[in-house]
Order: sequence, then structure tokens, then C-alpha cells
Amino acid sequence: MSDYAHPEVLVDTAWVADHLRDPQVRLVESNEDILLYDTGHIPGAIKIDWVADLNDPVVRDYLSREQFEQLLSSKGIGNDTTVVFYGDKNNWWATYAFWVFKLFGHQDCRIMNGGRAKWIAEGRELTREVPHYPPAAYHAPERDDQGIRAFQYQVMQHIKQSGTALVDVRSPQEFSGERTHMPEYPQEGTLRGGHIPTAANIPWARAVREDATFKSREELAELYGAQGVTPDKDVVAYCRIGERSSHTWFVLTYLLGYPKVRNYDGSWTEWGNMVGVPIEKSYQG
Amino acid sequence: MDLDFILDHYDMPRNHGAFADADVVQAGGVPDCGDLVTIYLKIDPETERVMRYAFEGEGCTISQAAASVLGELATSMTLTEIEAFDATTMMELLGRDLVRSRPRCATLAVNTLKGAGAVGAQPGDRKRETPDVMFSRWVFHLAGGRYWTRTSDLIRVKDAL
Repeated sequence: MSDYAHPEVLVDTAWVADHLRDPQVRLVESNEDILLYDTGHIPGAIKIDWVADLNDPVVRDYLSREQFEQLLSSKGIGNDTTVVFYGDKNNWWATYAFWVFKLFGHQDCRIMNGGRAKWIAEGRELTREVPHYPPAAYHAPERDDQGIRAFQYQVMQHIKQSGTALVDVRSPQEFSGERTHMPEYPQEGTLRGGHIPTAANIPWARAVREDATFKSREELAELYGAQGVTPDKDVVAYCRIGERSSHTWFVLTYLLGYPKVRNYDGSWTEWGNMVGVPIEKSYQG
Repeated sequence: MDLDFILDHYDMPRNHGAFADADVVQAGGVPDCGDLVTIYLKIDPETERVMRYAFEGEGCTISQAAASVLGELATSMTLTEIEAFDATTMMELLGRDLVRSRPRCATLAVNTLKGAGAVGAQPGDRKRETPDVMFSRWVFHLAGGRYWTRTSDLIRVKDAL
């Protein structure tokens, strides 16, 4: 892991096992399978649900500063806590939670390389005991939507400018316009199929190996560089609602060290429903 | 129902595992999110009741627990009752608050069962379904597990070959 641009954001399973009782460390499990945590989790880990905990319940947006402070306080996370995220599906949702924490500037966020699958594959301990931590004082700044988050109007400018790259991390079927959701999911929620003009299609999961750990820096540089997504560019990643692209945002930012990467969380469910925006569609069916 | 009920069925699934003399074998699923269920039914030809239900599958907690819960209900149901059983009822049984953000997972088994029931309602076709499902598995494996299609679609593919 030492070859990555920011190796400090990755910890391995052995490190986590050594820090299970470290009061400075809080393990956070975030999964796509909403009951998976309840079937067993790493001892001491808390659950953060991407829908129930990180999103505003009414407006399509993330928590406000006050809501975020309340959430972290209730989980016993202070400003100086080391938060280690892990989860199912190659840390798909763990990186999403990581990204939301970074919107509020939480300093010490890390990902357990290999996620839940690797922990289990190694035969490590799971428990159903849900820990309760005393509330912590947490003071967050206002959510910073400028540094690592992109909005639709910004993407519209982005695709007209030179020196930029746009990465569509969805499946090839979604990119071509054959589908508006992942294969075999209900094709609902978006009126048009296709992709944003100029986008390169690099499905997010190509960044990980069979064991759910991240590929080497060299492999990742080749994967993205071969399609023109290079560190000299202003990069925006998108998918359907911004969760898969948060994984790619993490890879580009922390493993490859690209200086300017944003996640367009409005993604295809916003772009594909807007009136009059340009769309490229290669699927002719 | 509560969380412990779902976890109990997930930990100790009832009626789990294939059996050889099934009248109907019906597969359904969402492979890209990892949820697959195959349901096996033995049907009494006189009463058209389900004499035996079993399932195999893999996937999320809710989809697999639901397949187990459903088995306890489906055994002894008639095909007409299966046809009338709706997905909303399944959601209520599992606990709407628990599964509301995952309706497709919660209803995968019941929708697969209803597909099986539709096949089972045509006695002359019952045995024919099994090789078609085997064919669908073959295509599924050929495609590297990336595609999963309804059996009826695969029958059309097979006819075209």
C-alpha cells in the first residue's frame, strides 16, 4: 500500500484487528445490504446507513452541518477520531460514506482495504453485539460543496472546457443507453439513456482485485490514463446517484494522487431527466 | 415482524436446497447486485397444491430470508392461491419498515414463486421447464455470470440457435 499517493488513508485488516479496542479509532460499517451489519460485524463497529443516516430525508441532498454534528456525536465520534470505513461490495458504500465525511472536512478518514469480504475470508471475528459509545462533542464546519462535489451546471461547463476529463463509472450498458440502471435492476427513474458527452466509460469495480483489495498504483494509473483520465486534468466522476463514482473519486484522489477530482452526485438520475441537456447515445436498439 | 425474525431465517433458512423430482424449477434474480433465487416445487396433480417447496440462492440478507419465510407459507398453497399472493403482503410479513428501501430484494422470492406457479398451472408444461432452466444456467455460465434472463426469453434464444 506504500506505493499509493496517500497510503495513510488505507489500513489493512491486520491493522484493524490490532486497533479493535483503540478508543481513538471508530470502525464504521456501510453496506449496500442494509441488514448485513445486523448479521454480524467487526467487534466495536457501528453502522452508518447511506440512506437513513447520510441523506436529508426530504430534500435530495446530504445532511446539514447540524445534522452531521448530531450524527457523529451520537456515534461517539469526535473531531479527532480516526474513522475507518469498511463494507460490502468492494467497499462501494464505505467510500461513499468516506466522501460524505470529507464534505464536512472530517480529518482522519480511512478505508479498510478489502472491506468486509476480506475480513471474513481471513476468518476474523464477527459479532452481533451493537456497541454504544458515549456521545462525543463534534463541531463541523459548513458543508463544503465546492472542493470535491460537482453540480449539474458545473458539469455543463466542464464538458465545454479543455484540460478536463469526465469519467462515467457505470456499466457499459448504462453508458451506451441500452439501460438506465445496472443490468437486471428495474429500468426506472430516468427518462433518457446514454451518457454525458465527452465521458470515458471506466466501470468503477475495475479498480479492485478479486479479493476486493485495490489494484496496484501502476495498474490503476494504466486503467485511467489509457482513457485520458490523467492527473493534469480537472476530473469529474459520475454514475447514477453518485455512490459508485465516490469509489472512483477515492481511487483517483488518494491512491493516484490526482489533485482535482470531484464527484457529481446528481449523476445520471439528474442529467438523464433534465430537459434539453446534451446526451450521447450509442445504443441503437 | 422484527429484525430477529429475518435474521433467524437468514441464519437458518428453512426448506433450503434443491430436490431431484421437482415438477417446476424456476430461477429469478438480480445477478449484478448478487441476489439469486431458484425455487423448486412439487405439486399435487389432483389438488394443485404445493406438496414441497425448496429454494437455493445467494444474495443479500433480505432476499434470502424472504425466500425462507415464503417457503413456510407456500407449502400447502394451491396454485390459485399463489397467483393471488401479492408482493405487498410479502413486504408486510417481513416488516415494511425494515425492507421498504429494498422492495426488489424482499419480493424476489415471491415473484419467482409466482412465475413457478404460472408454469405449474400448466401440467403438460411442468416437466419441460426443468431443461429450460438448465439451459438458462448454461447460458448464464457461458456469459460469465453476467447475464440472467427470464426462462421464456431463453426459450426464444434456444429456438433461434
